[in-house]
Amino acid sequence: MANHEPEAATPRRKALIWLSGFGLFGSAALAAVSNLIFFKPRVTYSPSALFSIGKPDDYPPGTRIAREVERVCIVREANKMAAISTTCTHLGCIVALADTGFSCPCHGSRYDQDGNVTGGPAPKALAWYQVNLAPNGEVMVDKNSEVEQGTYFTL
Amino acid sequence: MSAAAKHPGLVTALKELPSNVWSSIFRNPLPANDQERAATSFTNFFLHLHPVKVHRNTLRPAYTLGLGLISFFLFLILVVTGILLMFYYVPSTTQAYDRMLDLRGTVAFGIFLRNMHRWSAHGMVAMVALHLCRVFLTGAYKKPREFNWVLGVVLLLVTLFLSFTGYLLPWDQLAFWAITVGTSIAGYAPLVGQQMKFVLLGDTTVGQEALLRFYVLHVAVLPAVLTLLIAIHFWRIRKDGGLSRPQDGRGREAGVVKMRLEPAAAPKGAAVKTYGMQGFVRGPFTKIGNVPDDSVYSWPNLLMAELFVFVLTLSAILVVSLLFNAPLEQPVNVMHPPNPAKAPWYFLGLQEMVSYSAFWGGIGVPTVMVLLLLAAPYIDRGQAGVGRWFAKERLLANTIFLTLAVLNVIFIVIGTFFRGPNWTLVSPF
Repeated sequence: MANHEPEAATPRRKALIWLSGFGLFGSAALAAVSNLIFFKPRVTYSPSALFSIGKPDDYPPGTRIAREVERVCIVREANKMAAISTTCTHLGCIVALADTGFSCPCHGSRYDQDGNVTGGPAPKALAWYQVNLAPNGEVMVDKNSEVEQGTYFTL
Repeated sequence: MSAAAKHPGLVTALKELPSNVWSSIFRNPLPANDQERAATSFTNFFLHLHPVKVHRNTLRPAYTLGLGLISFFLFLILVVTGILLMFYYVPSTTQAYDRMLDLRGTVAFGIFLRNMHRWSAHGMVAMVALHLCRVFLTGAYKKPREFNWVLGVVLLLVTLFLSFTGYLLPWDQLAFWAITVGTSIAGYAPLVGQQMKFVLLGDTTVGQEALLRFYVLHVAVLPAVLTLLIAIHFWRIRKDGGLSRPQDGRGREAGVVKMRLEPAAAPKGAAVKTYGMQGFVRGPFTKIGNVPDDSVYSWPNLLMAELFVFVLTLSAILVVSLLFNAPLEQPVNVMHPPNPAKAPWYFLGLQEMVSYSAFWGGIGVPTVMVLLLLAAPYIDRGQAGVGRWFAKERLLANTIFLTLAVLNVIFIVIGTFFRGPNWTLVSPF
């Protein structure tokens, strides 16, 4: 009873202190990390990645039309169509149509007609997206599915 | 004695009311001797941040250039003007720009407040950067101030992030495209880049979600973080022994005594000596008492210096805000980036590097730079040349630092003045 001098913690007590400390801070850390999920939106408010661009007749053969809202360039040749991204692969600016293909106003990246990089800091070619014909006769572009460069949809 | 003398009547109480109220708030009269000067520093809530005495080096304008103080005062101006602007601002893509026009057209002093906020923000970035240069070039980051240097580097990063988040809020062309480019750079970070960009923007592109997120970061999260860090930064100045200064002949910083007392280690039964609180403080602190040294009382020397810097800072901001209006470009048009699209000036060095390589310019080089800054006090351990500008003993460290700093400035100048449409080289003349 009288021997209540402050002795060094026994190994078992030390281990228990470490374990409870680990449990306490571990669960706090887990809770903090799981809160990160909160910051990642499950749905976004941006427009759908699958959209209609109208009838094929709106795009006469031989035209290249930039659709600014959807950020794609519609290429129509004879009886086939394709959709090339107009978002610069460098830093996300919108590339402008040029005689030689595309050019970016932000950091001077240049692309040829097919979207291959011909100059500037862009690290890779512009993406090509899936083009399809909907049952109602409208052309659909799906920005969620990229296709290989040069893949045209035959009408 | 009569009871009346012990208990003054109502009339006397009313007569003495003003002086009683005054002396209950301000316990000391204006100090007339050293003891009272010392008391002023620790009986006043605001003044007790200050030490009783400071070394003369602390007060030499040519040593500190007052850059840290100026940064802090600019932050105060930013907080006040920022809170006032919040009364009229709405973080909505359909309203934000109109609110900017209202500030310019209808709100009393609106344009002036916005000018003050914008120019103070630019000023704060510049002053914090210059403060960093001052601390490096005088070797003030060395032991025992390593951690305060680390805090300072983090403060610089938070300042830049605060400025960056504020840049989007006017929702004009300048804002939109600068943030589009800036967040795309974040997307280049390995592994987590795209996730980070998505979480920062709350969407795949800059839009309403991004505006709301940046607003919350700008007005709540980052100012709170910055305030806390500034408090620790200031506290550490005192705990690390005041500002850096040249060493005395014995290899110690002049005016600092090292004290390490272990009262608990006294043998049992020995006479117990009672120590004041000061006696239990470990580590370096400025010595007090009647010892000849090179320090002076904070009241009025330090306080007058601070007041002078504050008045100077505020007047500079007022004059600049009267003369120049904060830029406001066309409202956001997500289809037409301005050509060239440029980030704020302090990021133009980055943007210039980014035009060579997005990863190295935007992520690689900045990360290496920040890591070098953070590691500097733990790598560069020599104690020679502390407390002097451009000390000969620190020639190598200062040369490396200045080279990197000048390179950064050159990149900023090229990005600001020599880049035209499509980021081609143009002559500004």
